[in-house]
Amino acid sequence: MKVLLLGGNGMLGPWVVKAMADRHQLRVTDVNEPRKGFKHEFRNLDASNLDAVLRAAEGMDCIVNLSVLRHDRKLAWDVSTRGNYNMMAAAVEHGIRRVVNTGPHFQLSGPQYEDWDFGLNPDMPPQPGTRLYALSKAMGQEICRVFAERHDLYVITLLYYNMKLPGSLAAPLEKQVNYHDDMTPFSLAWTDCGEAVRCAVEVELSKLPSRCETFHTFSDIPHDKFKSDKIQRVLGFRPRYHLEAMWNKGYKTT
Amino acid sequence: MKILVTSAMSAMGRTVAGALKKHDVKLTDLTGGCTGGIVANNLNHDAETDRLVDGVEAIIHTGYEGQEGDASSLLDYYSRRTYNLLLAASNARVDRCIYISTLKLLQDYEENLTVTERWRSHPPSNDPALLACHIGELVCKEFARDRLIKVATLRLGWPIVTGQRSKATATGETAALATDDLATVLNAALGAKIEQWQDVHVQSPAPGQRYLLHAAQKLFSFPVPPPTPPGQPVARKGARR
Ligand SMILES: NC(=O)c1ccc[n+]([C@@H]2O[C@H](COP(=O)([O-])OP(=O)(O)OC[C@H]3O[C@@H](n4cnc5c(N)ncnc54)[C@H](O)[C@@H]3O)[C@@H](O)[C@H]2O)c1
Repeated sequence: MKVLLLGGNGMLGPWVVKAMADRHQLRVTDVNEPRKGFKHEFRNLDASNLDAVLRAAEGMDCIVNLSVLRHDRKLAWDVSTRGNYNMMAAAVEHGIRRVVNTGPHFQLSGPQYEDWDFGLNPDMPPQPGTRLYALSKAMGQEICRVFAERHDLYVITLLYYNMKLPGSLAAPLEKQVNYHDDMTPFSLAWTDCGEAVRCAVEVELSKLPSRCETFHTFSDIPHDKFKSDKIQRVLGFRPRYHLEAMWNKGYKTT
Repeated sequence: MKILVTSAMSAMGRTVAGALKKHDVKLTDLTGGCTGGIVANNLNHDAETDRLVDGVEAIIHTGYEGQEGDASSLLDYYSRRTYNLLLAASNARVDRCIYISTLKLLQDYEENLTVTERWRSHPPSNDPALLACHIGELVCKEFARDRLIKVATLRLGWPIVTGQRSKATATGETAALATDDLATVLNAALGAKIEQWQDVHVQSPAPGQRYLLHAAQKLFSFPVPPPTPPGQPVARKGARR
């Protein structure tokens, strides 16, 4: 499949490229330059520029959106909301029937869910709240939903929360690994984060319950704070790395 | 009451402002062509936007047909700039935002259906003004959800006809709204006790009217029910249905 990646040079991008490079033809794009030795087609592309996105999407079978700009009060909307409009307009323009969108868990489960409830699942109506990152991404997602409702195309959205390096189980913002001290009950090894995107790119569209489906992307964990069964059931995602050393006090780490 | 009306240069903004004769109204619009006492402001995240809402008790934010432009600029206005406005307003403890939306978001439903505020809206993807208006509704709703400001979304009927209700009825359009009725609802929405968040359908009552007005009736007693014919029992307010 010919796959366009938006925002493919960030933290998640390389794991997605690694999971898909042998199986698909990738056109990776971002506003920054690729790392040295990058072997795939690369274009400098600002997702908030409609014409540029339209051009980059030509001839593609699928668009994967990994772009995000979290904290700037203007760019967050440019990338996460208008960028999604551009992506969907490009999909319609070029007859691309598969779009894989990504975002943070709280574009769906904002504090009004997360601080209060258990069994949170990806089919709930979104309650992002007013946090800039969550709301700008949620509005981008809503644009995707409207397009999926109106056009013959599919939007598969993968939500992430906490990513860990499979070797050390360290997360990007943690200074040290605290084994046996519990963890964010929505965590996944980076390798598997990339794999999940591959599953979304490869799933037969007829297996999706509707044209717009959202998935919680994490491995089996016992908390039951968030639900992750849907991604395994529908996308056939099987996480390779488990994180038991974080939440099982009896699990040996040496 | 001190009220801020946005998109005051637009026909919709002018119609809204024209309905607020009894209030101290401050008008604003994006810079570029602002005339006649309209405060030019780009609703950026800055001190100017903070000053704009300072001392204001209610905002009427013109959501539909307030701005013109391509999808990019409309989405920017109703997502980012709306976010900046509402954040500044909630920091300044503005009590409520009346968001002017449109019943066109529900126009996919056939005329025979009993469409109340309990029916989901279906924005189109190929009409940027409606899509952006819908996004604006959702941005406002999240501010209400976080209990930062009260929000009433008034979804107005169309066409909007200047003058009395009879003029709207005379159009033969089943969702028409007379500006006199709009003025009644707007003034009620500014003064009434409202919930943290509500959608409200607003059109002129007419035989065979397209949208049901349950929320407007409950919150603003709009439309005033016709007088009870002689000999009929008078309906008690709050009686169980
Ligand atoms: N990393 C995490 O911990 C985490 C957690 C939850 C969700 N996510 C989601 O995963 C996805 C990927 O995030 P990430 O961790 O790789 O983030 P990142 O910030 O590392 O990467 C985002 C990429 O988007 C690019 N970008 C910024 N502005 C752009 C523009 N105008 N046009 C095109 N590209 C632009 C950046 O240059 C960057 O390479 C996002 O949807 C994000 O919300 C990540």
